[in-house]
Amino acid sequence: MSENSHNTSSAAKTALENPTISAAGDATTSPAAIMAQGVSRSFGPRKAVDDVSFELPDKAFLSIFGPNGAGKTTLLKVLSTLLPITGKGSASVCGFDVKTQAEELRRRIGIISHNPLLYRDLSADENLQFFAELYCIPNPKQRIDELLEAVELKHRRYDVVRGFSRGMIQRLSIARALLPKPEVLFLDEPYSGLDPHASDILDSLIANIREDHTFVMVSHDLDKGLELASHALILSRGQIVLYDECKHIDTAAFKSLYREIVGLGVS
Amino acid sequence: MAKAKSTAATRSNISGWRQYKALLKKDIAQELRTKEMVTSMGLYGMLVLVIYYIALSQAGTGFDITLIAAGLLLLMIVFTSMLGLNRSLIHEHDQGQLEALLLAPIDRPIIFLAKATTNFLFLAIVQVVVVPFFYVMFVSSSPGIIRGDVDPGPWWMLALILFLGSIGIAGVGTLLATISVNSKGRDFILAVLFIPVMYPLLLVLVAALTAVITGGSGFEATFWQMCAAAAAYNAVVIAVAFALYDYILGV
Repeated sequence: MSENSHNTSSAAKTALENPTISAAGDATTSPAAIMAQGVSRSFGPRKAVDDVSFELPDKAFLSIFGPNGAGKTTLLKVLSTLLPITGKGSASVCGFDVKTQAEELRRRIGIISHNPLLYRDLSADENLQFFAELYCIPNPKQRIDELLEAVELKHRRYDVVRGFSRGMIQRLSIARALLPKPEVLFLDEPYSGLDPHASDILDSLIANIREDHTFVMVSHDLDKGLELASHALILSRGQIVLYDECKHIDTAAFKSLYREIVGLGVS
Repeated sequence: MAKAKSTAATRSNISGWRQYKALLKKDIAQELRTKEMVTSMGLYGMLVLVIYYIALSQAGTGFDITLIAAGLLLLMIVFTSMLGLNRSLIHEHDQGQLEALLLAPIDRPIIFLAKATTNFLFLAIVQVVVVPFFYVMFVSSSPGIIRGDVDPGPWWMLALILFLGSIGIAGVGTLLATISVNSKGRDFILAVLFIPVMYPLLLVLVAALTAVITGGSGFEATFWQMCAAAAAYNAVVIAVAFALYDYILGV
C-alpha cells in the first residue's frame, strides 16, 4: 500500500475541507464529478451508509469493494437519487445536489445493475423506445439503432425480452443505461451472471466510452475492479475503510488489507 | 427573464406530456401482451355475478331486487377493482422496473397520472363487459320493472356515474397501491386502506346508482347532486396525489 493511502475518514475530510484536493491529496484542476459529504442512510435503527465522505474527479473510474451488506448498493442508490440521505449529509453528482436538483441530476446519470430494469413483456425495441420517450431523446430511432448495433442485439430487436438469455438481457440493459448519453455511469455488479461473450462486450463498451465518462462500479471482483479503476474504495459496515487513487495502490497489499479488514477470502 | 421562465415551463409541459403518453403506451402494450389485469378482473366480475345469481335464486318474485341493485353493482366493481389495482404496481415493483422509472427525469405526479389513467381504462373496459350482464340479470328482469312499478333512468346516467366513480376508484387505488407496494403485507394493506378512504365516494355512488336504477319522481336532482359530490371527491384525490406522490414514492 502506498504512503498516500490512508484511512478515508481523514482523507475524505481533508478532501472536503479543500474541494480541489483529490483522494490521494494531489492537486487537480478537473472539477469533481461526485462529491459526498457526511452521507448517511439508515433503515430503521440500522445505518447502511454511515457518514461517508469522498470526492471523485470528473472522468474518473471508481471501484467500490466490500462484503455483502457493506452498504455499496445503498451508497449507489443515494448518489443516483433512488434513496434519500438520512440526516444532514449532502452529495452532488455532476454539480447537481441529490436532494434539491434530483431531476437535473437524473438526466446525467445511467445505471447498469444486476437487476436489468427492463420490461420483460416488451420487445428490446419497445423497451428502448419507452426509455427514449421518458428521457425525451431527440431522434430516438437513430440512437436506438446505434446502441442495438453496439450491444449486438439488432437481430433480436423485435423479440420480447422474456425470451432473452441473461447475457442478452444485460447487454440490452447496457443499451438502456447509455440511451440518454449519461455523464456518470453507476455500475452495480454489472458482470454478475454474464457469460464470457457478454462480459467481453461490456468490457469493450466501457473501453469505448471510458475517456468521456465518469464511472462508479460496485464489485466483488478485486482483479476486475482494480483493472478498470482509477480510484478504489473499500466500504465496510457502511463506512469507508480506504479510498485512494489506484496509481498509489499496491495490488497485493490492497488485497491483503481487503482480506484483513473485510474478513473475506479474496483470490 | 419572465419569457425564459415561460419557455422553460412550456418545454417542461411538452416533455411531461411526452412522458405521460410513453407510460400509457407502455402499460397498454404490456397489458395487450399479457392480458393479465383485464382478463383477471373481467373473469372475477363475472364470477361475482354468478355468486349473486345463486345467492338471490331463492328470493322469490315478491322481492324487489332494484332496491339493492346499486349496492350489488358497487360491491362487484369495488372488489374487481381491488384485484386489478393490487396487480398494477406489484407487477412493476417485482421486476424492478419501478427503479428504472424513478431514475428517469420525470415528475412523480406524471407517473401517478399515467398509472391512474391505465387503471381507469382497464376498469372501464371490464365494466363495459360486466355491467350489461349485471343489468340484464338483475335489473331489467326484476319483477318491479317487468310489472312497470319501477322506471329506471336512461343508460347514459348510469354510464356517467360509473365513469365518475371509476376515476375516483382508479385515483385512490393507484395512490394506495403505491403506498402498499413496498410493504410486507401489501395485499392486505391495500384492502384495509381502500374501503375507509373510499367511504365517502362509495356513499355518493350508491345514492346516485340507486336514483338511476329505481328512477321515480325527482330522481334527477339526487343524481346530479351526487355527481357533483363524486366530481369534488375526485378533484380532491387528484390534488392530494399531485401534492404527495413524491413523498409516497419515498424519493
